Amino acid sequence: MHAAPAFSPPLVLVLTSHPYPFSSQQRYHLQSADRMILPALILALELSGEHDEELALRLRRKEPQAMADLYDRFGRLAYSVILAVVRDASLAEDLVQETFLRVWNRAHAFEPGRGALGPWLLTIARNRAIDHIRSVGSRMQRNSSEFDAREHPSLFVDMERDVLNNDHARIIRLAMAKLNENQRKVIELAYYEGLSQTEMADRMDQPLGTIKTWVRGALKVLRAELGQEAAA
Amino acid sequence: MNCEELRSDYAAWAMGTAEDPERSEITAHLERDCDVCVPGVRSALATVTSMSLAVRQVDPPRRLRKRILALVMPEPGKSWFSFWLPWAVSAAFALALLIVVIPRAATPPAAHPGETAYKEVIDILNDPLTKDAAFGEPAARGRFFVSPSKGVVFIAAHLPTLDPGRTFEMWVIPDGGKPIPAGTFHALPDSTAVYFHQGPVSAAAMAISVEPDGGSPQPTTTPIIVTKL
Repeated sequence: MHAAPAFSPPLVLVLTSHPYPFSSQQRYHLQSADRMILPALILALELSGEHDEELALRLRRKEPQAMADLYDRFGRLAYSVILAVVRDASLAEDLVQETFLRVWNRAHAFEPGRGALGPWLLTIARNRAIDHIRSVGSRMQRNSSEFDAREHPSLFVDMERDVLNNDHARIIRLAMAKLNENQRKVIELAYYEGLSQTEMADRMDQPLGTIKTWVRGALKVLRAELGQEAAA
Repeated sequence: MNCEELRSDYAAWAMGTAEDPERSEITAHLERDCDVCVPGVRSALATVTSMSLAVRQVDPPRRLRKRILALVMPEPGKSWFSFWLPWAVSAAFALALLIVVIPRAATPPAAHPGETAYKEVIDILNDPLTKDAAFGEPAARGRFFVSPSKGVVFIAAHLPTLDPGRTFEMWVIPDGGKPIPAGTFHALPDSTAVYFHQGPVSAAAMAISVEPDGGSPQPTTTPIIVTKL
């Protein structure tokens, strides 16, 4: 199994554009030293959820243009997440396509007024990637119901709408930098390789209890930095 | 297990790293809309989702947008195959394949065959009981969609090139039973294939093998794809 990639470093963004609303054709004008990373934050702004309701309604009505807008809003981030897991550009394209088709086919179950569309789509995207590397690696042949449960639209109801906004993009990188080496390692193994805690214990040659402690500790740090309500 | 005992595993569940019994216990709590576990898991999912912003961003190829829009915006003259399954790039071939693989008895006589298959395939994809299972290299990669009451949709890329006189055959493998033949098909010139088998299916696994033209009552070669559901 490949080594998990390092998370990107913190970055700074200067916005010089109009606030919402915007169309898929509109573009933000940005100034930054890191042009490679900036588009992510453009998307991060677009992901803030202000238009989730309207877009979700159009998806439910099966309006083709809604798919175009959905892709313009989330396609790059979904592709990046999947590529980070599978490390194969061609395969990543296939899995992005599966992701959007899945959202399209299940949009009827999404509550437009209360659901967080971006987090739902990105959860599906990561699940598709993890599902693939597990099946290819012939490990953890889990029932697809596990993914179905984690992708259920009801879990994204009333989720904070700005979970993917630009502040979070900056903060999450800073938060990752605050994790100790072990915490960062277990998060990377979990996020990029989908390893179970038992597999992580084997990989890192540590007791399962230690791994669980590191995972909980890492998520606690991230939640605290993001200002999210503590769940555990 | 009670909610308090499960709280520490919400994050692992959200990342997909939790294991039984905690994994199934949390899932069960969610299924009954547990007042404690639902918001707890939701919060953990929000954190995990936020982590996607830490991934270094990469521009997808421009063709990807076209591929995805082709899923819902079929161009005039293209078949339902390219509408749903862009791997099937040859609309004419796909339609011909479809006509061949649909059992005659299952096709209403007055319906246009493409439209009939389109509806049946959509029914399978939309069936809440449909299970999907992916498979990967070295033989090929793709996915089975299996509806217990409606049938199977199989899509694949990178299928091996067959010798003359050989064909792919799909097998439904019941739990503890022998493989049941589910029809034969060929790949498109670009090594992709889309195959639809209509009818009730009771499968613990699905398989594809290479058989002599016309198919076999039982596999005569080691299957190139075996996927548990």
